[in-house]
Amino acid sequence: MQSKSPKMKVQFLFLFIYFLAITTSYAQEKAYYNQTELGVMIGKVEDQWSGTTEDRVGFSMLTFHGAWVARYHVVGLSLGYDNYESVKIIPVAFGWRGFFGDEGKAQLIGGFDIGGGSTILQDEEKTEWGESWWEGGMMLSPSVGGFFPGKNGKTSLTVTVAYKRQEVFQYNGTYDQVNPALQIANSNLPPGFSYLTETNYLLQSMVLRVGLSF
Amino acid sequence: MKTSGLHSLLWILVVSVLSFSCQDEITTTHTFRTMVPVYLEMSDIRARTIEIEPAQPLDNPGKIYIYGDYLLINEPTKGIHILDNTNPSNPINKNFIPIEGNVDLAINNNILYADNYVDLLAFDISNLSNIRLVKRVEDVFTHLYRHDTGEIITYKDTVLTTENPYWGGCANCEFYTMNASLSFTANYAAAAQSYGTGGSMARFTLSSGHLYAVDESTMRVFDVKSPADPKFIKPIDLGWGIETIFPFQDKLFIGSNRGMHIYDASTPASPTRMAVYEHIVACDPVVVNEDFAFVTLRSGNFCVNNINQLQVINIEDPYRPYMMTSYPMLNPHGLGLAGDNLYIAEGQHGLKSFKVSDVMAIDQNQMEFLESMKSVDLIPGPKSLIVIGPDGVCQFDYSTPSKLKKLSCIDVKNPVVVK
Repeated sequence: MQSKSPKMKVQFLFLFIYFLAITTSYAQEKAYYNQTELGVMIGKVEDQWSGTTEDRVGFSMLTFHGAWVARYHVVGLSLGYDNYESVKIIPVAFGWRGFFGDEGKAQLIGGFDIGGGSTILQDEEKTEWGESWWEGGMMLSPSVGGFFPGKNGKTSLTVTVAYKRQEVFQYNGTYDQVNPALQIANSNLPPGFSYLTETNYLLQSMVLRVGLSF
Repeated sequence: MKTSGLHSLLWILVVSVLSFSCQDEITTTHTFRTMVPVYLEMSDIRARTIEIEPAQPLDNPGKIYIYGDYLLINEPTKGIHILDNTNPSNPINKNFIPIEGNVDLAINNNILYADNYVDLLAFDISNLSNIRLVKRVEDVFTHLYRHDTGEIITYKDTVLTTENPYWGGCANCEFYTMNASLSFTANYAAAAQSYGTGGSMARFTLSSGHLYAVDESTMRVFDVKSPADPKFIKPIDLGWGIETIFPFQDKLFIGSNRGMHIYDASTPASPTRMAVYEHIVACDPVVVNEDFAFVTLRSGNFCVNNINQLQVINIEDPYRPYMMTSYPMLNPHGLGLAGDNLYIAEGQHGLKSFKVSDVMAIDQNQMEFLESMKSVDLIPGPKSLIVIGPDGVCQFDYSTPSKLKKLSCIDVKNPVVVK
């Protein structure tokens, strides 16, 4: 995880999902399902110095695009925006939505999203002495919610409670000023660095979202 | 089936959503380069036979030495490559002599001197297919000894990953970038610092039947009048920050990071100090002719003064050297003097050549400035000008001094990086 390649992987995943999203939405016009929600993420973070636990609250947005694959099942892709205190993440995931209850009435929705988070919104910082950057990691989010059809029969209201587990890495590297060409075999230091700090954040949140579906 | 299946799925989701902890977990790991001490018994090292190996690719070359048709290239702490340079357009890698802890070399009448940690070795290289170790002078480079126990300490570059920042990680480790002084004494980086010789950055040098070896603070004198039987005479304390040694006629010019020492070596067994020309701290190789010493100062990693210049020092009276003039440079590293032609390695900026017959107007007599030829050191040899840089070890035809012509480059696995 200490090379810059995971970032690449997440970016590839992002592109792949983007194209898949376009193709699925065009191919299955009629069977298309969309659910777009806004809400808050609530988590707890332990202060590194005092050891006290503080609440972490941030804005979260998720848009799910899917296709009906069975009477009660939608499979698709989700794309979002999560604003954690320390980092802004674009989660990109494969998702499933399952419906329980009679059609045309209020239903329960179950959901599951699995994918990665991109840190493309975070700037890399470079100085004479080193650089720091972020890399996204795995994202996993099961959810349950309510599905309330609107009067026109097209647009419905959704309310969701989800658990979101997002991995993200922060790197702080110091350049090797002495002998930047020196490479040590099997070294997990990127070339040109003499010191690298990797901070692995496993961000766990409860997410409350409200949105529309059609 | 449909509904009950969904039912249970839904329950799994509800339970999982409610049961997960929402506390962030943050873990930090530190990965850093460090020097791990390695303790070696000299008795073990002496017990190993040195077997000459077939040609090895150049990895991270240190000092370069020209001897007749041969180039000898040190691989710091590992040994010495021997290349046949009969045709400078096509040097051929011939042999490798594995010598642990080796940093420097010099050759006198077919006898190769090389350091092996605390010992000085002498090899007979008159027949390359039968290189023989003819003499080992024990316990001369004693600064490597830890105690008087026969155990030496060297440092091995290592990368560690721990959950603690470096100061809490490994008790005996030295943080790499913080410890420049250590790396000088630790033999390892002393090598990395001396790029080549015959050139201006040498640490071993031969003059009137004597071998002089300088480390960071001491010059050691060996009598090599009988080449196969070098005898250690004595150490001479020089003060700190010694970097290079350059012999000229019966004098030794020793570059330190504070200035230039001039030693009278007319009594070769016992050089005496004539003068110290002091300047501010900077990295400074030296070359000399009858009347002048040329010194480059550069701002670098260790030598943090922000000054890049070529100084011309008058040494007509070696007891009273004084600076005549100086010229601004970009980032000068090594330099070489061939007659009236001065070549300066300008680091990442390239390679410059000057006519220095009028030392007061060197800046007006620039011959060439090859910006593409990044370089850190050079050696004006009898057949070619050898230039060390990120392209490896390159040779130029300089028979027309004002127009360098590239002949060849020897590939190097880990070439120097110039910033």
